[in-house]
Parts: sequence; structure tokens; C-alpha cells
Amino acid sequence: MRDFDFLEPASVQEASRMLADLGDECRVMAGGTALMLALRQRMLNPTHIVSLARLDRLRGIAFDAHKGLRIGALSRHCDVAASPVVQQHYPMLASMAARVANPQVRNQGTLGGNLCYGDPATDPPGCLMALGAQVVLANAHGERVLSIEEFLVDYYVTAIEPDEVVVEIRVPVPAPDALGSYVRFLRTAAEHRPLVNVSLLARRNGAQCQSACLVVGASVPVSRRVRRAEEFLAGKTVTLEVAQEVADMIAADIEPLSDSRGSADYRRDMVRVVARRTITGLFGLASNEGAT
Amino acid sequence: MSLSTLGTDVPQVNARSKVLGRAQYAGDIQLAGMLHGKVLRSPYPHARIVSIDTAAALALPGVKAVLTGADGPRTLWGVHHKERRILAEGKVRFAGEEVAAVAAVTEEIARDALDLIQVEYEELPAILTPEEALDADAPGVHEGRNNVSHDIQFERGNADAGFAAAHLVHEATYTTHAQYPGYMEPMASVATMDADGRLQVWTSTQSAFLARARLAAVLEMPVSQIRVIQATTGGGFGGKMIEDANNLIAGLLAVKTGKPVRLVNNRLEDFLACCSSLPERITLKLGMDKDGIIVAKDVRIIAECGAYSGLSAEVMHVSAMRSDNMHRLQNVRSHATLVYTNNPPHGAFRGFGGTQMLFALNSHIDTMARMLGVDVIEVHKRNAIGAGETSVHGWKVGSTGLKECIDQCTEAIGWAGKRSSTAQTGSASHKRRGVGMGAAMHVSGNRTIGNWDGSSVMLKINEDGRVVVHSGEADAGQGAMTMLAQVVAHGLDIPLAHVHVAIPDTDVSPWCIGALASRVTIAGGNAAIVAAGLARDKLFALAAETLKATVDQLQLAAGVVSVRGDASRKFTLAELARMHIWRHGGEGIQVVGSWDSKTVMHDDKVYGNIAPAYSFAAQAVEVEVDTETGQVTVVNSFVSDDCGKAFNPQAVHGQSNGAAAQAIGWTLYEHMQLEGGRLMNGNFADYTMPTADALPMLQSGIVESSDPNGPHGAKGASETAILPGAPAIANAVFDAVGVRITDLPITPEKVLAALRLQKQAEKQVGVAHA
Repeated sequence: MRDFDFLEPASVQEASRMLADLGDECRVMAGGTALMLALRQRMLNPTHIVSLARLDRLRGIAFDAHKGLRIGALSRHCDVAASPVVQQHYPMLASMAARVANPQVRNQGTLGGNLCYGDPATDPPGCLMALGAQVVLANAHGERVLSIEEFLVDYYVTAIEPDEVVVEIRVPVPAPDALGSYVRFLRTAAEHRPLVNVSLLARRNGAQCQSACLVVGASVPVSRRVRRAEEFLAGKTVTLEVAQEVADMIAADIEPLSDSRGSADYRRDMVRVVARRTITGLFGLASNEGAT
Repeated sequence: MSLSTLGTDVPQVNARSKVLGRAQYAGDIQLAGMLHGKVLRSPYPHARIVSIDTAAALALPGVKAVLTGADGPRTLWGVHHKERRILAEGKVRFAGEEVAAVAAVTEEIARDALDLIQVEYEELPAILTPEEALDADAPGVHEGRNNVSHDIQFERGNADAGFAAAHLVHEATYTTHAQYPGYMEPMASVATMDADGRLQVWTSTQSAFLARARLAAVLEMPVSQIRVIQATTGGGFGGKMIEDANNLIAGLLAVKTGKPVRLVNNRLEDFLACCSSLPERITLKLGMDKDGIIVAKDVRIIAECGAYSGLSAEVMHVSAMRSDNMHRLQNVRSHATLVYTNNPPHGAFRGFGGTQMLFALNSHIDTMARMLGVDVIEVHKRNAIGAGETSVHGWKVGSTGLKECIDQCTEAIGWAGKRSSTAQTGSASHKRRGVGMGAAMHVSGNRTIGNWDGSSVMLKINEDGRVVVHSGEADAGQGAMTMLAQVVAHGLDIPLAHVHVAIPDTDVSPWCIGALASRVTIAGGNAAIVAAGLARDKLFALAAETLKATVDQLQLAAGVVSVRGDASRKFTLAELARMHIWRHGGEGIQVVGSWDSKTVMHDDKVYGNIAPAYSFAAQAVEVEVDTETGQVTVVNSFVSDDCGKAFNPQAVHGQSNGAAAQAIGWTLYEHMQLEGGRLMNGNFADYTMPTADALPMLQSGIVESSDPNGPHGAKGASETAILPGAPAIANAVFDAVGVRITDLPITPEKVLAALRLQKQAEKQVGVAHA
């Protein structure tokens, strides 16, 4: 790791100006779990690190019955997992956060940092997309709000501007009849990054699915909703056959990644299996087996 | 009351210093004026070095030396074949080979300097598979030689006649992949020129004396001009013997700069520098009678050592013949060929060739037992060699607890109710459970290292009656220091805390081979018994003279020598130690106890009893297979280790469970991915060793067969337990879903593909019957 200056701005405005002034020479540090690896391997050699640690605007988790959930970008995965309001109102999100990577990463990595990294082989983006989350970005001049789909552009690419920081993540109040499930699939138990994940938020009336938001992640360059499957599910009485049909649809509609962690064929097969299990699990058609 | 701790659970004597962060590893050592080394490695699996320009690197402020192959020395190093240079000259033969070394005032500057070294390579075609290497037209990886590094052939009895008479003959080919040792502490050394101009090296090693011998040969210095001290070593698993160049490069940089140099591999460098285990393709043919007795065995092995052969020939030798000795065999034939490629070198690894062959053999026995309709446990037991018997290769088995191990581990996982049970569905309808087992043998010691398999322990009794033990045997984390302390404390009946085991130091310690071939407990332990006895003799001689008694009348208990029947006539060890000095003709009590095994070098037909004792182990596992994803989960594992006598059951369980974890990792999770000869996953995010959440609650048991040659009956306990894991899992997968994976690792993709083939075959059968 090369030497760098460690900057600790005390306000979002100050941080934004630093980022604007330093440009490509600097990197932002939140939890630092990904950044430290890149620095140590000299994949990144910034002259300056801008730490967000002093920005109180980026802290805290709060729930409002009308506005929904606000998660400060510096909240660690373990904070999200342990938050009583997240557990109560967004059990799918709390359960996801409790399973991210490994304990070391959960205790150090932040939700904002995770989203800004744009790594597909991770848990939060897909889950947040299914929940309809938004990302609040700020610079010295103000704030803007993007849906998570707008924020996540492509493989390791997000919509963040060089002078912006993510300040918070907002999650709307779920409909009273909504039920969610986040399923991650590890190729082997020794891996800490999902090969596949499927997130499903459905409004259901018994066996009937009123509407669904269905997201595939980790096996594709960027987490994405599968609209054809969502539309097919809307209004359907969900049976094992319907679940299988939807799973086939999803497997057909994605273009899987292929790399040393898994071939495109295996990923597509596993997306099919995991999607079916997610749907049958949510609709109580079978014990929610397999991938956890 | 005896103060002995033998047979009881005691914490490792060096555990406290490690958990408190006080233990001094080589990388912790700081010396005034110390420089930091870094190594430039070849990016190509095979290339001619056209030119190297070090001027820019040398000009970087803070850089003190930039060495290349041209700076010499040119002495080649290796084991069978002296074929490797400290720094390559003219040619590189694998991606990762050391090309240049830098010493600078900081590690960061040294790393900057690497980027400034201009190496012009002319890439050459690389040989990346044994098949390419064995092609008659293939160029030699090493000039002037073909690509066969070593070849072993032998036959005993008449294999063909055995097969002709067999009731069942089965042949199959198995392949095994390389495993990275994955010790927590990467290779590390600090080397310096001492005040007298001698080279002093602290290094992370399994053998201080073998390290010194190699440094002397390669740096072209007298052995006596070099001092090697084994720093606290954070795991070795076979990787820290004599196959990596870390301490050679540190030593070279210290010699060339005259300054202390610290060279610590980061994890990627360690992946590139360290030998991984030897990949083998094993074609095994067994003939059995109708009861499952093996009547003929034919083994054909192609092993791939990579660019340099290191200890691979010895490893392959073990694969070719060791497993023959666990059975009562008459007719065996084996042919093993070691092949060079331009892949990174392979070599010694915990199990030393046993894991490869025992995967094949145990898979094979399971398959044939099913063909015969005989319980696989019975097949193992019917063939098992007994205590007091001599094997087909002349190995004298003084003790064996193999049958007890098999019973213990299979009963522990509830084998009888689970084996081949159609009711064994898992936690959901698409999951199937099955059980499998494997059996193994290993040596405790090995004379073939150099026609000596002994050890010496030097022991001093200080003026306070406490003891310092010097041994050159290494503790790499497996517990050698605790073992030596326990044996000496037992011999003198003093508290364990009164024994301090000094770190191996070639200037001070008696000459020892070190931690390999599971030899430290049997050789070092026996030497410690001898040393404690000699010390006791000195105590008794002085006490007898002073107390006006005969030696026969004396007893030693709880640190006191006294006359039997007259407790008032006594001295403490402290008193005796002082009296031993402060008298005319006096001296401190110090003794050297030596022991050598009564074994023989095998002859040119590999016949002969090479080890003083043989350890055995068996493992039973239960797995759950997800038939939709191909994932295999080990839900239950029990490994039983026959270590002769467990001095410290807690330590044996630790070793056994660690071995089981490493075996599960090899079988299911770990895979060094090479692309065009380059390692693609040299980090722990992508090379996935099992963490706690990837393992079941590991269980282990101990069988004490008490070997007549072992110290208090003990044999090696650290290594045998890694051997049966892989076939136990493969056999359990077959038991669960009926597919036989012969190609390690057992990945979800392979299981899923096999299940699909099985389904297609069933459909075709269904059509045929329709």
C-alpha cells in the first residue's frame, strides 16, 4: 500500500468539495472492506483517502410509518441486521443483512459502501431493489434521489458522480399484504459471496399473487428485475407448476455471468432452482429448502 | 503421586505466547538497519529471459540491492535433481519463478523497485499437461532431458496370475488435484550477517538443519558459517520443508548487502512460491476373491511435478507403494511416472502421497464391495494387516488399531442404520443422505530420508531443579514442544511448567531432521526418554554417593530423590543440580540422549522395513446431496486415529479435526485454478478454504494400539488423519445418490452432471423395457 493523505471532512459539503478538488486521485472510505484489499494489492494507488467517518448525516436507522425506513449510508450490515425496526417492518432486509459475506465483513462493511462498489456478487442490491429502495446522493450543492435501479448502472458501475456521496438509503413502507424473501445461493459452503440470489416481494392473498417484484442478482452483471416473470405472476394462483414456469422464464430471460466462480450454464441452472424455491417458499408450497 | 501429564489434556506449552501475541514469528523480528526484500516473479510459464535492466530500480532512493540470476551464485538446488536456481538465469519455467530480488529500506520502496526492473522475455510454448509433456516430440522442460523426472516400477508376487484367479476384477482411473497448504503464517525469513561475519537466519521452517544444509550448499558457504533459528512457525503442512526459496533469497540478500533483510511473503506471493500437493492420475486395478480378499493389485500413476521436482519423486513413491502395506497382499505391481510441465511446482503436503492413492483405493474398495454384495467394512477388515505381521514390502507392523478405528468411526455416525438405506432422504425431497468411510495407514518415521531416522535431545537441569530441553525437531504448530516437555517431565517426575523447550537453533540444538514423515513423536520422544534417563542417572549417582546409599535404593518422585523406606534421606532436584556443580570435578547436569530406529533402507526393489512404527486411521462421514444443485454437505464426520498412545488427547483431537477440515477442503472446496499455467485465484476470497461455517461439528476418536517401538507406545498422530477424508466423502456421495465421482474435487457441477447422466441412462433403460 502506498502512502496517502487521510482526510476527515466534517460535513457532506466539505467531503463533496474535497472529492471535486481531488478527482481521480482520491478514493472514498466508508467501512473500507473492499478498498483496503485494493490498496494493499496496489490495484488502487490514491494520493488521498476521504473518510466519511465523521459525517453524522450518514448515520442512524429510523422508521416512520408514513415515510418508511431511512438507513444512514454508514450503517454496517450488522447494524441493519440487529435493528429492531428493520426486523419488525422489513424482516427480509434484516435477514439478508444477517447473512452478508462473513462476520468480519458484516461488522465492518457499510450498506452505502456496498452499493457504491457495484460488485454483483453481493447481497444487498437485489434485496433493496425488490423492496423498492431509493438511494439519496448529496454533493456540495444539494441532494438527489435515485431509485436503486437507476443507481446501479452496470458491472461495478453506479450513477454516483465524482463529487457525490451516498448519504442514505430509503425503503418505502411495505404494503400490509406484502411478504418478502431473499434467498442467496453459495456454490459451496466455503464461499462467502453468492453465486446467485433471488429477491421476491409479493403482495399475496392466500395462494394468489396480486403483484410481485422479482429480482435476480449475483449471476448477472447488475441486479435486475425480471419483468416478464413479475407480470406472469400478477393475479396468478401460485402452484408448483406456476413456480416452475416462472423459474424457467427467469432462467431464460437473464444473461448470466461466466467466470472462474461459475459457468454461465451452471449459473442459469441455479437461478432456475433458486427462483423456484424462493417462490414456493414464499407461498408455502414446500419447506423453504436449500439455499439459505 | 506422579506429576506426569502423559495421557491427560494439557494446553500446548506455547499456546499462551501465541494467543497473547507474544510469540515471535520470523516476520516479527526487527533488527537495526534492517532492509526489506521483495521478489520479482515470472509472469510467463515458459520464456527466455532476453535481458534484464535493473538500472532504474537501483536508482530509486532507498534501494540497496537489485539481484538477478547474473549475480550468482549458480549452484543448483533440489532434492533428487539439482535443477533450480535461486534466481532464474536465461530462462523461466513457470509463472511465479523468481527472477530478481530487491532489498530496500522499506517494503513499499522494495515493491516500487520491482516495477522499475525491465525484463524482456521471449515467450516460449509452454507444456501444461502431463499428456503434452509425455509426447515423444515434446521439448524438455529442462534442456537435454526428456520430461520424465522419475520413474518407479516394481512387482512382487505375480499380479497377472492373481488377476487370472480372481473372482472379480475392477479397473478405474482417478485424478487428484493440487492443494495449497494454507497455513496461517506465510513463508517468512530474516537473515543477517552477524558480528563474526556468519550468516544468521530466522525462518519459518519445519527443519532448521535441512534449511541450513541447503543454505550452505546454495550460497556456497561452509555449514558452520551459517546459523538457522526456527522462529515460531504458524503451520507448515509439508510446505515449509526444503522446496521454497524464501530463506535462500533472504540469505542471498543479506550476504550481498551485508545488512539484515526481512523477506515475508504476502498471501499471493506465498501461493506462487509454495509447492502445492502433487496432482496424480491413478489407474487402479484390483482383483478380489468372492469374499473381498484382494488377490492382485496393479497401480499405474502419472504424477505431475510442475517445473521443478523437489520432493515430488518421494511423494509419488509413497503413492505407488505405501497403501500396499495396510493389506495382506501377495501380488502387487506398480508403475509410477513423474512428469515435468511448465506449471508451478508441486511437492510435499501433509499425507505425502497418501491422500492421492487412498482416495483411489478406498473408492475402489467401496465399489467392489458393492459389486460383491459384501459390507465394505468387512472387506477392509478381512484384508487388514495384523500386528506382528510383515507386509508384502517387508514392513514390520508392530501395532495396528485399524479395525478398532473402523468400528469406532462407523459406530459413531450410526452407520448400520444409514448405509445404503433407501429411507435416507434428507431434509427435503430433493436431498439424499448417504454414508461412506475410508481407511488409511501412514508411517511414523522414515529411514529413506538418508539412512538415519534418529533424534537427539539435549537436556540441562538448572540450579533451581528446572529443565531446559534442546531439540532440533520442529514445532510447526503440531505440538512437538509440548510432546517433548511432557516426556521429559514424565521421565523426571517434575511439573510440566518446570520444563522449557528451547527453539531449534543450529548453533545450539542437537542435529535433528525435523518435522516430516510423522517422525517427531516417535524419534524425538524416544530421544527425550533416553535423555531424561541419562539425567536421572546423574542425579542418582550423586545422591547415592552423598546419601550413602546404592542407586538401587533410590527413587525419584515429585522432583525429589530419596532413599526408599527412609524419607528423611532426600534431596530435591534443585539441591542435586547445585551440588553437581559446586564440588571438585563438578559440572552442570547436561546430557544428550540419542535414539535411532531399528529400521533399514529399502533395497533397490523397494523392499525393507523403513519405519519404526505405522499409524492407522479411519473416517466415516454422512453427507447430504442436493440433487437439484449438486451440492454436497458433510453433515457428520468422525475420524479415528490410531496414534499408539495419546500423550495429550486434546492435542490429538485438534490434529485429527484439523486434518478432517483440510481433507474436506481438498475434496469439496479448494481448487487452484490455472489458466495457461498462471494461477488465477491466489487469494483466500477465491481459493476457498473451509471456515467454521463450512464444516460440520467435527468429531474424532483415539485408538491406542501401543507400539512396541514407540515412546510409551506412541506413534505419529498429526498426519494419518488427513488420509481417509476424501474417499469417505466420495463413497458417501455414491451411497446417497449412486454417482461415483473419481475426479477430485467433488464440485456441484460434477455431481449435477453425473446425476443428469444417471437420469438419462434410467430413461433409456425405461424405454428399452417399455
